[in-house]
Amino acid sequence: MKKRLMAAVLASVLAVSSLAGCGNTGNTPAPETGDETSTTTEVQTQVSNPADEGLGAGSNAGADVTAETTEINVCFGSEPDTLDPALNSAVDGATFLVHLFQGLAKWEMNSSGVLEIVADAATELPAGVENADGTVTYTYTLRDGLKWSDGSDLTSWDFMYAWNRAASAALAADYGYMFEVINGYDDVADIDDDGNPLHPEAKLDVETPDAKTIVVTLKNDVTYWNELLAFPTYFPVKEDVVANEAWATDPSTYVCNGPYKIASWDHNSLIKLEKSENYIDANDISMGTINCYLSDDQNNMLTNFQNGSWQLIDDVPTNEIASIKSQYPTEFFNVGQLGTYYVCWNVNEDLLPAGSQYAKDENAKADIRRAIGLLFDRNYIVEEIAQGGQLPASSFVSMGLTDADGSQFYKNCGVSSDYDGYYDTSVNGYEDGFTAAVEALKVYYDYDEATGKFTNFPTLTYLYNTSEGHKAIGEYLQSVLAGVGITMNLENQEWATFLNTRKEGDYSIARNGWLADYNDPICFLDMWTTDSGNNDVQFGRGAHASVKGYSLDLTPYGVDVNVTDATWSETYDVLIKAIKSCTDKDSRYKMMHIAEDMLMSTGCITPLYFYTDMYMLDDSVKGFFSNPLGYKYFMYTTIK
Amino acid sequence: MNSKTLSYILRRIILAVITVWVVITVTFFVMHAVPGGPFVGEKAISEAAQKALEAKYGLDKPLFTQYVTYLKDIVTKFDFGPSLKQRGRTVIQIIGDGMKTSVRIGLIAAVIALILGVVMGSFAALKRNTIADRLIMVLTTAFVSMPSFIMGSLLLIIFAVKLKVLPANGATAGGMILPVITLSLSPMAYITRLTRSSMLDVLGQDYIRTAKAKGVPRLRIIFGHALKNSLLPVITYFGPMLAYIVTGSLVVEQIFAVPGIGRAYITSITGRDYPMIMGTTIILAALIVIMNLISDILYKIVDPRITLE
Repeated sequence: MKKRLMAAVLASVLAVSSLAGCGNTGNTPAPETGDETSTTTEVQTQVSNPADEGLGAGSNAGADVTAETTEINVCFGSEPDTLDPALNSAVDGATFLVHLFQGLAKWEMNSSGVLEIVADAATELPAGVENADGTVTYTYTLRDGLKWSDGSDLTSWDFMYAWNRAASAALAADYGYMFEVINGYDDVADIDDDGNPLHPEAKLDVETPDAKTIVVTLKNDVTYWNELLAFPTYFPVKEDVVANEAWATDPSTYVCNGPYKIASWDHNSLIKLEKSENYIDANDISMGTINCYLSDDQNNMLTNFQNGSWQLIDDVPTNEIASIKSQYPTEFFNVGQLGTYYVCWNVNEDLLPAGSQYAKDENAKADIRRAIGLLFDRNYIVEEIAQGGQLPASSFVSMGLTDADGSQFYKNCGVSSDYDGYYDTSVNGYEDGFTAAVEALKVYYDYDEATGKFTNFPTLTYLYNTSEGHKAIGEYLQSVLAGVGITMNLENQEWATFLNTRKEGDYSIARNGWLADYNDPICFLDMWTTDSGNNDVQFGRGAHASVKGYSLDLTPYGVDVNVTDATWSETYDVLIKAIKSCTDKDSRYKMMHIAEDMLMSTGCITPLYFYTDMYMLDDSVKGFFSNPLGYKYFMYTTIK
Repeated sequence: MNSKTLSYILRRIILAVITVWVVITVTFFVMHAVPGGPFVGEKAISEAAQKALEAKYGLDKPLFTQYVTYLKDIVTKFDFGPSLKQRGRTVIQIIGDGMKTSVRIGLIAAVIALILGVVMGSFAALKRNTIADRLIMVLTTAFVSMPSFIMGSLLLIIFAVKLKVLPANGATAGGMILPVITLSLSPMAYITRLTRSSMLDVLGQDYIRTAKAKGVPRLRIIFGHALKNSLLPVITYFGPMLAYIVTGSLVVEQIFAVPGIGRAYITSITGRDYPMIMGTTIILAALIVIMNLISDILYKIVDPRITLE
C-alpha cells in the first residue's frame, strides 16, 4: 500500500513541481506580441544588411526566376498559436501570414534599399476624402485576376467579411482593436457583462458597391492607415473556409491568397511553405519552398545555424551574443525595433523614511524616483550587459517613432537642446546626472558624507521574470544602488505569474518592456490611462486615485480643458481622449509631447534602452529583408 | 493465472484509477491557484476580449463547476477539451501528435538500454576484474551520475556542432539519434551495473556450481541458468526506468527541439493552457502507473515463487 500511495504522491508532486518551477524559456526580454512600424527614412538608416544587393530584381522586375526548386531552411519561432490572420498577435505568426496572404497593401524594399508600404491587392493606395462630419472615406479598387489558393475568385466582399469578423466581439481577437479607427467599431466590439456581443448585427463602415471596390470610412484622419492595411489582421479570409473553426490548423483546409500555401504542417516541428500557382505575382517569387522549423530553444537554433542546417534563426542566446558577434561578423544582424526596455515603479509605493516631513508628498516621491533613474549608466547596460546593439534610452516613446514633421519624436521632447530625450545619456552627462541625483536625494534622506552613502533609505524590491538577461540587469541596478547605500532585493517570478503580479500592482519596482503596434506615439501613451489593462504603474488607482497633483491646459489646442491640482483621471485620461479625437496633426503631436512630459515627470517610468531585433542570416542568402515590426521576408531570396 | 493473481490485478487497476483521479484533482486546483492565466501577455488584451474568451471556454464559471464538467467530459466522452493557446486544435490532437514522437523515442531508448545493459552487465560479470570489466564500470558510473541535460548538451556539441555528423534538430530525419542516445545512456548504465552484480551473485550460487560439476556447457550455464535468475532486479527497475525516460524526455525534448509530449507539457505550463496541462498530466501519470503495474506483473511471471498480494 505504501508504494501505491508513494506513486500517487510522486505523480502529483511531479505535476505540481513542474507548475511551480518552470522557467520562461520562450520569452526573451522583448515582448512576444509587439508589432510596430516605422517610416521609410528611419528604416533606411537601420537596415545594414550586406545581402541587400539584387533586391530590386527580386521584388519588382520579376524577370529572372529560374529557381523553382530552391529551398531555404529557417526558424523564426516555435509552433505558432494560430495562423488565422484575425487571431494572430505574434511576430512569428505575422511572418507566416505575410507569406501566405495578400492584403490591400504590403511592405516592400525598393531598389535603393528603402522599406516602403505599397499597394498589393489594391491597384493603388489613394488619399482619403474628408467628409463634412470629420470622417474620412477611402475607396480601393482590387487588381484583376486575384485568386484564392483553391482557385476561386477573391472579391472585395472577402475583405469586408474578414474585417468585420476580426473586429467582432464574438471572435475576441487580441488585435480586434486594430479596427477601432474605422467608423462603427465601437458597436461591433461592445459586449455585455457576460461577454456576449451587445450589437450582434453591427457592422464596420465598410461598403462593397461591386466585387472589385471597397469603400471604408474612418472616424478621423489616421496617419498610420496604410500601415494598418499591410497589417496581417487586415488580410482577407474566405467565409466558407473559416466557418470551420479548425481551418487554420491543417494544410488541407487552409485557403489563403498570398505568394505561398502550406504544403505540410508537422505540428511542433516543421511548416513547409510552397509557392502558390494561383498567386497573381507568382512570377516575382524566387524562393520555391520555405521550410519553417519550429523551435523556441535559442541554443538549439544556434546549433542548427552553426552546423549549416538552417539559413536564418530569429533569436540567439543572450549569453552568447559577444562571441557570436566576433565569430559571425557578417551573419549576425541587429536592426532597429520600435520598443523600450524600462523599469516601472508602483506609484503607490511609499519611498520616504519613517517620520519624514515629506510623507504623502507626491512631488517628493516623483523627485526621488527621477533621481534614482539618473543613477544608472545606460551605456554600461547596453554595452556590457545587454550586448545586442541596443541604444541607451532617454525617453519612454522609443526611437524610430516620428513626430508631426517626420523627425524623431524623442528628440523633440523639449527639455534641453543639449541632448535628446529627458536626460543626457552621454558619458559626461551621466556623471553630471549622477552627482545631481545624489544632491536631490539628500533633501529627503540622511547622507553620510564620509562613506558617501544614504543611511535611512527604505529597502526596495525589484521584480523581474525568470531570465538570465533580466537578472543581469537587475543585478547591475542593485549594485549601483548599493553604492549609494540603498538596499534593493531582487525577486524573480515565472513568466505568467510575473505578468499577473505586475498587472495587479503587487510590487514596488519591476522590469517592463513595450513594443509599439504602429508608428504613432499614442501606442506608448494610451496604455497609462487609469483603466488601461497595461497600466502596471497603477496611475489613478488605489491611493493615487485621490492625489491632486497634476495640471493640464489644452486651450492652445482648441480643447476646452484647463485644470490645476487635479487627479490623474481628470488630467491624463482627458488628455489621451483629446489626442484620440484631435484632427489637427500638429496639435495632436504637441499634445502627445505633453502626455509624455506628464509621464516622465512622475518618475514612475525609468527607460533603460531601446530594443533591437537580433537575428542570424547565412552569407549565402541574397534578397532577404525584414521590417521594423520584426517580420521576415523570404519570398524574394535566392541562395548562392 | 489463478484467481488470486486476477483479483490482485483487478485491485491494482482500481488503485491505479484512484491514483489518476487524485492527480487530476490536485493538478486541477493547484493549476488554477497559480497566478496568471491563459490570456495574459506582455500586452494586455482588452477587457472585452478577455471576458468573451473566458465565457467561450467556460472559465467564468465557479471553479468547482469547471472541475465537475471537466471530469464528466473525460469520463463520458473522453473529451479533454480544446487547447486555449493553439486555437482550433483539441488537446487530444496535440497530445496524439506529441505521443507519436515521444513513444517512438522512449521505446527505442528503453529497448537499447535493456539489450545493451544486459549484454554489457553479463559480459562484465563473466570477465570480472579484467580491463574490460573495469572500463565498463567506469563508464557506467559516469553515465549514471550525469544528468540528461548535461549529457544531451555534450552530445550536441560533439556530434552536431564540432563533428557535424548528426542533426541537432529532433524534428529532422536523423534527428532522433541523439535524443535516443541521451535518454538511453543512464538507464543502460544502471541496468549494466544491476545485471553485473546480480549475475555475480547468481554465479556464486550452489546450483551453478552443481551445473558446472555436472559438466553442463558454459554457455548453457550462462543462458539457461544464470541469466534468467539474474534478471529479476532488472525487471524491478523496468518501472522506474520508464518513469525516468518519461520525465527525462521533458528535458531532452527541449534540448533537441523534439516535437514530443514533454515539450508540449512545458509549453502548456508556461502558457497556462489549462486543458493542455490537465491532459498531459493525466497521460503521463497514467503512463507511469500502468508501467509500474506491468513491471509488477512481469516480476511474477519471471519468478513464480513471488506471490502477489
